[in-house]
Formats: sequence, C-alpha cells, structure tokens
Amino acid sequence: MSEPQRVRLVLPHRPHVELEAGHAVESLGLQAGFSHDTLAEVRLAVVEACLNALEYGGGDVEVEVAAHADESPWLEVRIVDHGPGFDPAAVPRPQLRAKLRADRKRGWGLELMRRLMDEVEISSRPGRTQVRMVRRQRGG
Amino acid sequence: MTVDTFELRVESRDEHLGLLEVAGYINNEAGEAIAREARHLLEDGHDTLLLDLAATRIINSIGISLLLEVLEQILEIKGTLAFCSLSPSIAKTFQIMGLSQYTKDYPDRATALAALSRA
Repeated sequence: MSEPQRVRLVLPHRPHVELEAGHAVESLGLQAGFSHDTLAEVRLAVVEACLNALEYGGGDVEVEVAAHADESPWLEVRIVDHGPGFDPAAVPRPQLRAKLRADRKRGWGLELMRRLMDEVEISSRPGRTQVRMVRRQRGG
Repeated sequence: MTVDTFELRVESRDEHLGLLEVAGYINNEAGEAIAREARHLLEDGHDTLLLDLAATRIINSIGISLLLEVLEQILEIKGTLAFCSLSPSIAKTFQIMGLSQYTKDYPDRATALAALSRA
C-alpha cells in the first residue's frame, strides 16, 4: 500500500472558488485511477460541501484531499470551516414535490453529498465544522 | 475561458418550443440567467422549453434550485421542460432529485427536437 497523494487548499471568499477544490479532486483522482464519471460525482459533492462551508461557515475554508492509489482506489476529502456550526440531523431531507410548491427551493446540497459519496461524516460544534467524505472507485 | 465558463444561447424554434443552449458551470448567477431567459420565452407564449446541456459539466444545488423555479412555472401552464445531452453525473443528480417524473430527457438535441417540435 503506497502513501496517498495529498493536496491542501485554503479557500478565500471569492466567486467560483469552490471549483478549485473540485479541480484538485479531479486531478488527484485521475492519478489514482478513478474514472472521469466517478470523479464528476465526487467533484459535485466537494463543490456542495465547500459552498455550504463558504456560505454558513465564515472565514476561510480548509480543504484536504487524499487520493489512495490502492488496488481499489479511494478518495478522502475533508472540508473544515470555523463558523457557528449546525446539527446535521436537523437538516430536513428535500422532497421535490414539496420544493416545487415552496418559495425556498434550495436545500439539496447535503442530500446530494450523501447520495454521491460512499461515506459522509459531519462533526460540528461552534467554531469548527468538518465534513469528511469518502468515495471508492468501483468496477475496476 | 475555461470549460466552466458560463454561456447561454437562446433560440425560439417555433411558437411553442424554446431552446436554451447552456455551456459551463451552472451556479447561482448562471441559474438566474437561465431562469430569466426561460421566463421571457414563457411570456412570449412558448410552453415547451428544451435545455441543451451538452457543454455543461456541473450544476451546483443553487443552480438546480433555480431550474426548479423554471419547472414550477412550466407546470403551472401545463407545459413541458425537457433536457438533452446530459452528462452521466448531471443525469444522476437529476435522478437523485426525482426530476424525471416532471421532465423529459433526450440523448441529444436532434432527438429532442424531433420529439418536441409540433410542425
């Protein structure tokens, strides 16, 4: 088992900065043997986590990507912000029928992250929220 | 310019069908531009909108929520919202949301236009 390739980023608040984290994931994932289609899903999950951190977190957002080029490659991404924190269990799962009738149609980010990644763990307290996500390459 | 640079081209194909060709990253600003142009097409009497996403690789959840505003407006007039040329990840995103029960999806623009044009 080789050492994982790692990238660490600090995202300032500026337009489209979330894409930089997505690009880092794509770059490392390709080197580790991931398919483009899988990486496109990981990229969206990372973009969503970064958007949440940038919008609700306050301050710079830290991103760490680790690409494990094992026989079955896997990616681990951690996104950390230093905002007030939140209770992930209190975030309602979005329902399309209800969203279409609602004034506020947002609220899909966490659901997409959970459905696009194999693991999503959120630890949150005032001053530090960390989202840890894992995705494995399947099917060779 | 990168592959994520947003561009939007709008075309009235006939009195019913409006085409929105989207390229690049669909975020809040891009989603608002799409929603604005879609609203103009609906106000002009179109009841079917086709979004060609062949050159779009990523839509974030804010962009998606703005597409839902378009869908809500189309459902109110019993019209049709259709997509074509979805990347696998965008197709999966729409599947997760359950969009396919309200929209149509075609593999490419030619197939979509053949199915949606009324002439």
